[in-house]
Amino acid sequence: MALALRSGLIPWLLIGVAAAVALAAGFLVAERTGNPMTAPATPGAPDALLGITLPDASGKQEALGQWRGKVLVVNFWATWCTPCREEMPEFVTVQRELGGRGLQFVGIAIDEPAKVRQFADEIGLNYPSLIGGYGAIELSKSLGNKVGALPFTLILDRSGAVAHTQLGPLREAKLRSIVAQLL
Amino acid sequence: MATALVAALFLVATAAANDLLPPERAFALSARALDERTLEARFAVARGYYLYRDKLRFAVAPGALASLPVLPPGQMKDDEFFGRVETYRKEVVVRLTLDRPAAGERVTLNAESQGCADVGVCYPPQTQTLELTLPAAGRGAGPKVDAAPPKKSWFN
Repeated sequence: MALALRSGLIPWLLIGVAAAVALAAGFLVAERTGNPMTAPATPGAPDALLGITLPDASGKQEALGQWRGKVLVVNFWATWCTPCREEMPEFVTVQRELGGRGLQFVGIAIDEPAKVRQFADEIGLNYPSLIGGYGAIELSKSLGNKVGALPFTLILDRSGAVAHTQLGPLREAKLRSIVAQLL
Repeated sequence: MATALVAALFLVATAAANDLLPPERAFALSARALDERTLEARFAVARGYYLYRDKLRFAVAPGALASLPVLPPGQMKDDEFFGRVETYRKEVVVRLTLDRPAAGERVTLNAESQGCADVGVCYPPQTQTLELTLPAAGRGAGPKVDAAPPKKSWFN
């Protein structure tokens, strides 16, 4: 300590402590939500999500509850969102590979049915994409999408609890490592 | 001690930089009246964000705009899906002419915009609103007015 005082080390020790605290806080937030840009879901919001019914692009009503018990990846997207369009072909690949093991993707589009149909055909979408409209932005906010931007992706484990939330692109490697632990 | 404090503040600032801005702050609308018939609308675009030129829409009430506003040229961006699109960074200023002089009257400006952040997210189209009073003829430009904060849907 005397040495520390003499050589002026104390400020550096304090910096070290401040850095450690800030890092720990950052990791805690990241650990809880999976992404520092998202907030924790409002209590009850994941359950509410599994309780809703939305039409698909052909008008058929789909209840999200039908996928309870699966590892569910819910992706909020739109055709006017370029980063959304970029990542979806990767979701198609992962759905094809891991669908048989209990992984289920569901898209919720903040968009018009005709545009969703066209894009689904273009990329050979192999999972349901439901039509959420702008109301779905509010729904995504309750699930941790702090600023209401897209893409926003939520991963629920088999019990329906939130395992990961992601605002912005969810890269294939990260997606695979998360779902591997849940399947 | 001061150094430690600065370092701690720096860390907090770095953490905050990971946060995305809400759209009304990423693309902040303000306007002023230049004269009794002309408004000047301005979007201040935060660093790391951009607006799409072809998504900008302006409307006034009561009354109407005399013509479609002339939008300044944007920066060309090669979009994988939309092809070549024009975008605005930093700021865009648009002059709006009312269909009649309205000296001393209060008008509401609605501006719709849509943009994205470089980190890989896009915001839904948003409409921002502000009210301003047009100056009397020959009195020069009025003060700058910022858009009202958005209504929080959970209070509605």
